[in-house]
Amino acid sequence: MHKEPTTNEQMLLNIRINYFRLAWLLLFFFFFLLMLQITLRYLPISDDVAFLQIKQTEVEGIKLYLPIFYIHVYSAIFVLLAGFTQFNKTLLNKRPKLHRKLGYLYVLVVLLFAAPSGLFIGFFANGGLIAKAAFSILAVLWFWFTLKAVLLAKKQQFKAHYHFMLRSFALTCSAITLRLWKVILVYLFHPAPMDVYQIIAWLGWIPNLLLVEWMIRKKYLNLK
Amino acid sequence: MNKMKNLVIAFLSILTLASCNSNDEKTEKSAVDSAATVNTTFDHVLGMWVGDFIAEEYQEGSYSENKLSLVIKSIDKDKVIGRSVVVGNDRPLQGTLTNSGNKITFVLDEPGDQKYDGRFEFELNNDTLVGTWKSYNQEINVTKRSFKLLKKVFAYNPNLMLDKNGDYTDRQSSKVKTVTDTIDGKAETFEDEYYRSASKAVFTINSSTQELKESDLKNLRKLDLQILRNTIFARHGYSFKKKTYRQFFDRADWYIPVSNDVNGTLTALEKKNIKLLERFEKYAEDNYDSFGR
Repeated sequence: MHKEPTTNEQMLLNIRINYFRLAWLLLFFFFFLLMLQITLRYLPISDDVAFLQIKQTEVEGIKLYLPIFYIHVYSAIFVLLAGFTQFNKTLLNKRPKLHRKLGYLYVLVVLLFAAPSGLFIGFFANGGLIAKAAFSILAVLWFWFTLKAVLLAKKQQFKAHYHFMLRSFALTCSAITLRLWKVILVYLFHPAPMDVYQIIAWLGWIPNLLLVEWMIRKKYLNLK
Repeated sequence: MNKMKNLVIAFLSILTLASCNSNDEKTEKSAVDSAATVNTTFDHVLGMWVGDFIAEEYQEGSYSENKLSLVIKSIDKDKVIGRSVVVGNDRPLQGTLTNSGNKITFVLDEPGDQKYDGRFEFELNNDTLVGTWKSYNQEINVTKRSFKLLKKVFAYNPNLMLDKNGDYTDRQSSKVKTVTDTIDGKAETFEDEYYRSASKAVFTINSSTQELKESDLKNLRKLDLQILRNTIFARHGYSFKKKTYRQFFDRADWYIPVSNDVNGTLTALEKKNIKLLERFEKYAEDNYDSFGR
């Protein structure tokens, strides 16, 4: 349903909201570029580059580790792209077919590649049981929210679909927030690397989830 | 009576033997340090002398105190040949000694073709070499240093560790952070200096005797990794050029700088550990405080 602005005030409000959305989009774009930069460190494929420098025990000891790690790196960058398209009002309302196609792509990449590979490398995460538990739960929830969201869309329950996709994408964004928390914690407290890792393993996604739950309850996010 | 006499003689001869033995030991030690022993009179001077090399005349703000090893290789009449090792500079020494009764004084020169070459003048004072060094070049930061050196024998020992009571704060490099604070309602800006400190790992992990695993190193910061790697080099008597490392190892009693290249003496285990530590250092450098991991 398309509402016409009735007064000048309401028009101003709409513009203000658009600026707010634009700021979010720019911020997301900035972090997307940083994530892209991190992903590009893994091209060409190498067995001892970047993060793998401290993962040689797994690389050498577990045959599947390296291929699954790379599946995760390369698939995860694509699911972040959904942030530009799937929550865009105009695209959603005026190009529903495109929304559906891109949505399926997001769902397939998460369910077939990014989440299962995340669960696998989560089992071998740095930082001991505390971090392993965090990453494993994250992967399982991510899979579940995404699956639930697409099933709800198929049943035409679009409001619930939207809410579950918000949850799914909140977890997708943990790729960004986890690294952001690390920068903040290291700057403030200079903790030992694995101490900070155990903290960000949880801090990377729980506040994200709490934030969208709060927004859903408060009905802050309306796409119509 | 005779028995008693025999006993006394036997006792005396044991005593002499014992003292001979200790003399032998000394000459043996010296012989290890230098194969070319020429004049037996000065045997006790031959060998390695180690102590602090303390700045006496220097440009403002450039005071420094480094560990010096002075090797007297050979003495032929009044001709002395040796070398000095300090801050990664391994320099040949040549000069003369003067034996005036009960005092032996030395004047030894570095070649003079390098910026930090100079002249050593010292004397033997009981068991200590006491003296000064003056640079030929008056334009450098430190132009005069003093030292008191004790005789030491260098031997590689993989079990040597940094002292657990030591202070492992890196005083040579600090990060300056600007902090804004509100005092009495006014915002004021301060500059705080932060120094990095090493963890317990630097005196609990032995990187020369245990095969390091990734899991041993994952929770260590860059400074820990740097110290663990360089403790290997310190055990081999590497003379550190970097202040960052000198500040930690110069304080260790066992540390004697003997060479500026010890790569040939590293064990296979040490080489393996060095590779692993370097990889973790690089990762820590690239990732510890940046976005990404």
